[in-house]
Amino acid sequence: MHGVIIMATVKINGKEITVQDNTLILDAARDAGFEIPTFCYQADLMGIGSCRMCLVEIEGQKKLQPSCITPVLHGMSINTETPTVISARASMLEFLLANHALDCPVCDKGGECELQDMVYKYGPHKGRHAEKKFKFQEKDYALSPVIIKNSNRCVQCQKCVRVCAEVVGANVLGALGRGDHQEETSFFRHFLDCDQDGNCIEVCPVGCFMRLPYRYRTRPWDLKGADTVCPYCGTGCRMVIEHRDGVLIRSKAQLGVGLNSETLCARGRFGCDFASSTERLKTPLIRRGGSLEPASWEEALGYIKEHIPVNIGNKMGGIASPRLTNEELYLFQKLLRDIFGSPNLDSTARWEPEATEGFIKATGMDEGGVSVFDCMESDSVLVIGSHLSDENPVTDYIVRRIKNTRRMSLIIASPREMKLDSSATIKLRHSPGREAAVLDAIALAVNAGKPSPAEGAALKDAKIEDLIASAGVTKGAVEQIAQRLLAANSIAIIAGMEFLRHPEGIPELGLLKEALKSSGKKVLVMPALDRANQRGAWEMGVHPAFGPGYGPVKDKGLGCAGMLEAANRGDLDMMYIAGADVAAMHPDEEFTRKALLKLKLLVVQDIFLSETAKLAHVVLPGSSFAEKEGTFTNQEGRAQIIRKLLPPPGKAKRDLDVIRAVGEVYDPSFGPKMPVLVLDEIRNAAGMYAHVSLAFNNKRNTENKLDNRHALVQGSATSALSVTRFSAATTEPEGRFHLTTGNHLFHSGRFSRRSGTLLGLLSAAVVEISEKDAASLNLKSGDKVKVKGRHYEAILSLKTKKGSKEGVAFIAENYDDVPVNRFFKKGEPAPRVDITKVTY
Amino acid sequence: MEKVLLKNLGKPDSHRIENYIANGGYRALEAALKLKPDNIVQMVKDSGLRGRGGAGFSTGLKWSFIPKDPTIPKYLCCNADEGEPGTFKDRGIIDNDPHLLVEGMAIASYAIGAANSYIYIRGEFAFGADRLEAAIKEATEKGYLGNNIQGSGFSHNMYVHKGFGAYICGEETALLESIEGYRGQPRKKPPFPALSGLYAKPTVINNVETLACIPAIIEKGPKWFSSMGPEKSPGPKIYCVSGHVKKPGLYELPMGTTVRDLIFNHCGGMLKNRELKAVIPGGVSAPMLTTRDLDTPLDFDSLAAKGSMLGSGAVIVMDESTCMVKMALIINRFFSHESCGKCTPCRDGTPWLTNILKRIEGGQGRQGDVELLESLCTNIFGRTFCPLGDGAVMALRGALKNFRDEFQYHIDHKKCMAS
Ligand SMILES: Cc1cc2nc3c(=O)[nH]c(=O)nc-3n(C[C@H](O)[C@H](O)[C@H](O)COP(=O)(O)O)c2cc1C
Ligand code: SF4
Ligand code: SF4
Ligand code: SF4
Ligand code: SF4
Ligand code: FES
Repeated sequence: MHGVIIMATVKINGKEITVQDNTLILDAARDAGFEIPTFCYQADLMGIGSCRMCLVEIEGQKKLQPSCITPVLHGMSINTETPTVISARASMLEFLLANHALDCPVCDKGGECELQDMVYKYGPHKGRHAEKKFKFQEKDYALSPVIIKNSNRCVQCQKCVRVCAEVVGANVLGALGRGDHQEETSFFRHFLDCDQDGNCIEVCPVGCFMRLPYRYRTRPWDLKGADTVCPYCGTGCRMVIEHRDGVLIRSKAQLGVGLNSETLCARGRFGCDFASSTERLKTPLIRRGGSLEPASWEEALGYIKEHIPVNIGNKMGGIASPRLTNEELYLFQKLLRDIFGSPNLDSTARWEPEATEGFIKATGMDEGGVSVFDCMESDSVLVIGSHLSDENPVTDYIVRRIKNTRRMSLIIASPREMKLDSSATIKLRHSPGREAAVLDAIALAVNAGKPSPAEGAALKDAKIEDLIASAGVTKGAVEQIAQRLLAANSIAIIAGMEFLRHPEGIPELGLLKEALKSSGKKVLVMPALDRANQRGAWEMGVHPAFGPGYGPVKDKGLGCAGMLEAANRGDLDMMYIAGADVAAMHPDEEFTRKALLKLKLLVVQDIFLSETAKLAHVVLPGSSFAEKEGTFTNQEGRAQIIRKLLPPPGKAKRDLDVIRAVGEVYDPSFGPKMPVLVLDEIRNAAGMYAHVSLAFNNKRNTENKLDNRHALVQGSATSALSVTRFSAATTEPEGRFHLTTGNHLFHSGRFSRRSGTLLGLLSAAVVEISEKDAASLNLKSGDKVKVKGRHYEAILSLKTKKGSKEGVAFIAENYDDVPVNRFFKKGEPAPRVDITKVTY
Repeated sequence: MEKVLLKNLGKPDSHRIENYIANGGYRALEAALKLKPDNIVQMVKDSGLRGRGGAGFSTGLKWSFIPKDPTIPKYLCCNADEGEPGTFKDRGIIDNDPHLLVEGMAIASYAIGAANSYIYIRGEFAFGADRLEAAIKEATEKGYLGNNIQGSGFSHNMYVHKGFGAYICGEETALLESIEGYRGQPRKKPPFPALSGLYAKPTVINNVETLACIPAIIEKGPKWFSSMGPEKSPGPKIYCVSGHVKKPGLYELPMGTTVRDLIFNHCGGMLKNRELKAVIPGGVSAPMLTTRDLDTPLDFDSLAAKGSMLGSGAVIVMDESTCMVKMALIINRFFSHESCGKCTPCRDGTPWLTNILKRIEGGQGRQGDVELLESLCTNIFGRTFCPLGDGAVMALRGALKNFRDEFQYHIDHKKCMAS
């Protein structure tokens, strides 16, 4: 809205306050410093005004009015603390308690229950209800493997239903019955096949929605917590993790805190139990006579010193996981570059370094942080190359929530159907890996068929018809998108991991951005990343082509694939791999193992005995996110602090200490020692971080100011990135389905597979195809099928999706039993597969 | 008095279009289509017609709130949910003279520019729904609905939508939710339906009887309409009389007929000539009147002045043998059963009231129950989301105010004073 902002002056309890016209009385009162109790109100949900806790008196009006849905009018005089208002509040609570189970002593919520708090504060302190209570059911009932319900405690605020519909977009909760028999639950209480994110649990003010396996395990006051950041995807959700007796037992989000406020996805909410897994590595291991044997730190470090000479240079390589903190990653590259003199560095086993470099440049990460909230203020938002609903679930929530309250267009281009489609103004189903053609077609359509100067040579000979055919889309759809973009003054592009899987789209992304900018539009680009600190890893310089802050490096080194090839050729002798499961994640598993086995020394630092660790000579036990301090930089470029909840298990050490200990073997002054001191060094080395503020409000609050802009990194002054053109990938000729991979909603990489709770949600691997394809093959969801490629075949269960592109099969990359990388072969075209029903 | 609303009742095959037309039907629509829509709205305003669904809001004014922009779709919804206990007037029209409603709706739709209209009819009225479907089909065949009605260029389609048995779906915004396929619960206002109603488009919701008045207003003129009954609530009115009278039934009379005239003149007096004890003048949410109030005219303002209301025009007459505690219980049980569950005071308050009344009536009353009832009424009234909860309190307060000693007697003696 660009109109003039109209202000209204009102009196609240005699205090004059001027607020924007249309402000809710509740918000105006809170601004003026008067607290009004609420149950059904929540800043990010549509107001329903049903609980009547927030009634206030407006002078001149006979009835009390609900302040949570009534906007102020200029000149209004409002009273929030009159005897009538106070008694109305007490009476609402009396009504709520009338049929309430009052079983606080056994209720999980006891101690952190809004109803308890409210009754304590606003009365009544004596009950008058002496009738038989209505009971919904005698026993709690499970709604899913992680959700269990007791309706007798309900205050009917509908938050569970609304969060599921308005924010999560799953829309699987509703109410049965009416009057005092109204029960918020699933469709006739059936077991839910939903996103399992537990946001319904989080928003429930009382103990109706409870979580498994947490239920009955503890009381809230026996928990100790730490404010931290989710270790899974790049969204960077703030969360509180809590332990009892040393076991990480819960992670939760808080209203008003972080960009996610109360929401998390299944991974964040239920997947943090991996930290307390019994399979954690607790002691260093050294390979002795073929097997890995426990050893002391002195022995392990001694072994390293014995085998790696200082300044080994090119013969050494390092890979550090994008789940490590900025401080650890910074120190890791410093170790490799300064101590070992090696330029060979990477943070991922999945993509080519030229692809990541180009992607960083095309999405403008080196130009500083871009807030998702700013993106959502745009007139038009294009989501491309990202399966956002599965890979960045809470980003999906933010996009959906804001889209539904604003006049804007949301355009989604993706081969697979996703949940966010239901909020899309336009959705485009294109062939997998054809983001380049889609973007070029849009760019041409925007310029009425002629490339803009910005696109210059690149699109000189391109014909829209060819592009459309290659993308597998219709001209009408592309033109519709172009019209939307042309009509918009501001545009945001959310570009995801598919660009790294199919890097030929990267330059086109940059071109479209420039083309739109040159036609006078404000353009923002935000990457959607699937690892918590992927952006941080790059910004710390864990990359063969650039150093901290994307600054230039003396010598460019090898990336992961290059190192493996060099190892295979015998040109690389040693590798230090911290937290990355290269053997499991690198395309072409067979080759990877072969290459790793040729190394003279493989040092693996991890928290589990990963596939890669099993091949190591020395294994160093590190720490999970719950056991250390440091910062993560999310996909937007927001640096956020993580805090320590527990000590590392057994002899395991904080990763920073491990890396430093390795460094000190060669240079006793290698450091710094403390994360904060490392951060100071980072602030100096990477100007982008010089002014980042880590301060944030970590207490539950109703202000809902989620966009903490001080945390955004600045643009880099030293960036020297370039974009490489990749030739279009070819696909095998045989096979009905083009095979694509990515993250499952419940998993992220391999590491979430160590979460017992997440495993319980979905243990068997799934292959997903469109409903149409399934119908023509006479298959249905749930069938066991054989997926057969040229190099590998696997038995999986089938899942169908209504709106997905035909001829595309998707297998998540997260399953140990179906290592999807075995379908791929180095240097060969993208695999195609056939799917047939398995009958036993 | 010449009847206009019930004029065809009792005539053979009054529901067939031939008979309706033979009796002068659809002439009003033909005349209306020659007028400008704005003129029709003005005529309805001038007639002084106030909504017969309960609230008594000026119908012409309601129509005039609909935006004029021809590019925005608009809807008319006829409220045929007729859920208020004691009310059966709309059903009388629907079953016997469906074309009167169809004609009224066609005119109203033309006036507000609605290309589609819905008749939301309570599920139990299966017979009436069939009659309406048949009438719509007949009218379409005869060119009174459908494309280019009577060559006027105005096109209109009408649909019957059956409810599923919830009283709350008679509340206009819950009705809209129900048509849209959601649970029947009221929406917050603003936005009012005139700006954002069905499918978030401008919508008028009118009661059956309201719409049935329209053809007569067009044909006989607003003056004729406004000259009948009190100045501020003019026109003909159907009273639905039930209870202890000799001749219960539907009576079309000028608005403002007194309670005495209705019961003792038109309805032939009290059944078995017993003494009258109380009268509920406008459906069960309306507080009851007693013998003191027999000369009250039955119209919106006169009843409001007596602390009661005309509501749907359902007049329930009770003689001296009626137990007021039982009456209060039955009425209250209706409300708690029909509470939609959205807001706290109605959802959790009305069943509490019912439970207390059940105990008192069953001889399990406790000292202090009457005071508790009164206190709970205070805590509910004026604080609910929609008028249903208020209605429950108004009814109970009416009984407590006039017959408090009967309640206390029940508590003290564990039995009834009246029977
Ligand atoms: C709980 C409740 C139930 C209602 N039931 C009906 C009904 O059954 N029929 C009806 O016409 N109006 C009913 N109303 C009134 C409608 O909300 C609305 O005011 C009316 O349909 C408007 O039409 P009118 O202006 O023609 O009276 C009800 C209102 C409430 C609050
Ligand atoms: S877990 Fe999420 S998707 Fe499932 S019911 Fe709860 S809010 Fe809805
Ligand atoms: S279950 Fe919880 S969130 Fe849902 S309506 Fe009841 S109290 Fe509110
Ligand atoms: S995985 Fe991503 S979206 Fe889910 S809670 Fe963690 S940071 Fe948020
Ligand atoms: S008063 Fe409240 S609970 Fe009762 S019917 Fe209206 S909205 Fe529903
Ligand atoms: S908070 Fe306002 S009505 Fe519930």
